[in-house]
Amino acid sequence: MKALFQMYLQQFKTTFASMFQYRASLLIWMIGQVLEPLVFLVVWSTVSNGNGGSVGDYTTGAFVSYFLVLMLVNQFTYTWLMWDYEWRIREGILSFALLKPVHPIHSFIADNLMSKAIQLPVLTVIAVALAFTFHAVLSVSLWVVLAFIPVLILAFFVRFLLEWTLAQAAFWTTRVSSLNQLYFLLLLLFSGQIAPLSLLPHSIQIAAKILPLYWTVGFPTELLLGKITPSAALFGIGVQAVWLIITFFLAGAVFKLGTKAYSAVGQ
Amino acid sequence: MNYLRLIGVFFRVNIAGELAYRINFLFSFFESVMGLGFTLAGMAIIFSYTDSLNGWRPEEILALVGVYSLIGGVIRVAILPGMQQLTESVRDGTFDFTLTKPEDAQLIATFSRVAVWKIIDIFLGLVILIIALARMGSVIGGVQAVEFLGMLLTGSVIVYSFFLILATLAFWLVRVENILTIFLSVYHAGRWPLSLYPGWLRYGLIFVIPVAFATTIPVEALTSRLNWVTLLAAFIAAAVLFIVSRAFWKFGLRHYSGASA
Amino acid sequence: MFRPAAVEDSIVHIQSLSKIYFVNQQEAGAKATVHGIFRRKKTPVQAVDEISFNMAPGEIVGFLGPNGAGKTTTLKMLSGLLYPTSGTVTVLGHIPWKREKTFLRQITLVMGQRNQLVWDIPAIHSFELNRVIYRIPPDDYQSILKELTDLLELGPLLTKPVRNLSLGERMKCEIAAALLHRPQVVFLDEPTIGLDVTMQRRIRSFIAEYNKRFGATVLMTSHYMADVEALCKRVVVIHHGRLLFDGELALLLQRFTSHKTIIIQLSECQADLKVYGEVLACEDGRYTLRVPKAETARITERLLADLPVVDLLVEDPPIEEVIDRAFTEWNK
Repeated sequence: MKALFQMYLQQFKTTFASMFQYRASLLIWMIGQVLEPLVFLVVWSTVSNGNGGSVGDYTTGAFVSYFLVLMLVNQFTYTWLMWDYEWRIREGILSFALLKPVHPIHSFIADNLMSKAIQLPVLTVIAVALAFTFHAVLSVSLWVVLAFIPVLILAFFVRFLLEWTLAQAAFWTTRVSSLNQLYFLLLLLFSGQIAPLSLLPHSIQIAAKILPLYWTVGFPTELLLGKITPSAALFGIGVQAVWLIITFFLAGAVFKLGTKAYSAVGQ
Repeated sequence: MNYLRLIGVFFRVNIAGELAYRINFLFSFFESVMGLGFTLAGMAIIFSYTDSLNGWRPEEILALVGVYSLIGGVIRVAILPGMQQLTESVRDGTFDFTLTKPEDAQLIATFSRVAVWKIIDIFLGLVILIIALARMGSVIGGVQAVEFLGMLLTGSVIVYSFFLILATLAFWLVRVENILTIFLSVYHAGRWPLSLYPGWLRYGLIFVIPVAFATTIPVEALTSRLNWVTLLAAFIAAAVLFIVSRAFWKFGLRHYSGASA
Repeated sequence: MFRPAAVEDSIVHIQSLSKIYFVNQQEAGAKATVHGIFRRKKTPVQAVDEISFNMAPGEIVGFLGPNGAGKTTTLKMLSGLLYPTSGTVTVLGHIPWKREKTFLRQITLVMGQRNQLVWDIPAIHSFELNRVIYRIPPDDYQSILKELTDLLELGPLLTKPVRNLSLGERMKCEIAAALLHRPQVVFLDEPTIGLDVTMQRRIRSFIAEYNKRFGATVLMTSHYMADVEALCKRVVVIHHGRLLFDGELALLLQRFTSHKTIIIQLSECQADLKVYGEVLACEDGRYTLRVPKAETARITERLLADLPVVDLLVEDPPIEEVIDRAFTEWNK
């Protein structure tokens, strides 16, 4: 346990140092992360203004806060796993990691946590500035804040384990980029990054609620915006818990299969 | 003339290389169709709530998506791979081989890598563009067509010069390949007309990261929105940026070989 | 006797060449990292320090020195990749770092640790590229390609993707690609590094053959003394950027050989030979003794007089050992 703690500490330091080393690329990456929701914010605001100030159950101000909160939630739950994993396999880094007496997932978790600790404050400042520029409307009640925190943490772990599971594909194929792209396009649609779920066609809404993606980004966002009733929030937390259990066992099983396939090739 | 022959050989060599991975064509096709499909789906959702976006009709936005894909294809086929290869070779030292060649290093660096299969983006862009034009129903006049092609060309030159300036930073910075992606990550904004964005973002997309020249402006030419001031400005911007990027490249080379140290 | 090439008939002329690098200092620790964003310490490093030597046409010169001695930096300045801090160089009458096309068409640079061939495609395509870049006329190209293919036994290698070639096969293709335009001056930086002994020998004999056939001037670095011994009559040695020796290899060896080995055959292994010199080995009465060079004659005489010697052999120590000794001595 102590060794694990020290490993996390060391990984934090390494990530911290390397992020400063590559601060320029980090900044650019964040610009991209801000711009994507900003574009949809602008488009939906335009539609809303042309429609007399609202579309469906979203006013122009609500659109602004929806996409800005979404940006932060997405950042909080985002992982680099699917690229990082493939890269570590290709470069042979993972082979070393597998020889160590610590499960490789810890180094990925620590890496992601540290990068969030650095990026989130910056993005929060940007989001607040944009909220003033675009006149966001947001009122939050106490129970929403209290519910939001566990929902967000659950969302992070569900998404982390899900993307960890998918990242294992790199053990079997070197062509993960197509898979990654498919995943991110599905995420874009089903998690509510193109539009709030309630504005999507009914069939997509149903699919989104069956798949885990909505519960990792769209659900926490809508919760903070006050679009979710207390009972629906409780139900949502239940769904997240179920996905957490499913992805937990899935991640473990696929990792086991993957390492087996990997060592069989003798790389 | 020798330049054209050289570029021809570069293409031939790259095609020969890619033919060994024919399956990549399928994956490339799959990725392109998927990306475009989701873009169109997003468009469909938005236009299910409105008839026009700030004066732009759906078919006009469709034309914009076509140009977006077309220029995106040009970037992925002919601009980005060469620039990525350049920054990589600076890092691993093989750029030295480029410098010992008796030919313009910028030319070699630009065309040494071509991602042939990504040509599918250009093809899909053209298809979308043709569909959009058919839906618009209006006849494109000769002048308009020339303006459109001229703006596509200036847009490509501006994007190329911008990439070259970024890639040249590799002579100073460590990990520049991520910097190259800045254009593509900001390029997403080009799927929508520039006039939608607030002033600061609009100026950013014109003067800081020149996405507008490659997307909105050519489509403005196509939809009779372009005034001659913008037209002239685009030509001048292309010429100036090309010269500036070339000068910066030369400056970078001098730094690389320790002349300015 | 060795005579340095005179300035007027030299093809490579180097005078007081120096290069100082400024290296960014990166310190460990978060605080230093943050601090490093705002200000970086720059430390000057003298990579090459006032080097002068000339090379005559058709000469093969070995360029020796331990890691970090400044060999690669010098080669880069000679091939035009780096500007010197001070000093003058002319190669074929050109100033290299002006990178004039007429100059670049006549030289080549081979680096054993880096490849210029495109990784995913057969080497022949990369050759094609060089043909166009160097504007080699088709007929010349065909004949030199054939010549290189025969000499290096490239035949089947040319049509295989480079990534499928072994290190040695790849190196042969690299060298061929670098020589397609028949350069008059060839810079080789560790051309045999990492190759097995047979392949090293193959490359070595090819370099000798190329030099003989085309009269090319060759400057090469190598960690393998066998390369130097086989190819270079003359060597230039640098250490910490400074030129330490320029002359015949034999002369260098002579200067730094302090000991010789005497091998004598006695009937058995019982004699105590410590008084004559350091006993390195004894096997079936065959003794190997290490003795100071100056005393070789005297000790040989004594051995022959004192012992029932069946056979006696005096040998120089291996060249690696001598060069090692030279560097150690220069370090002091």
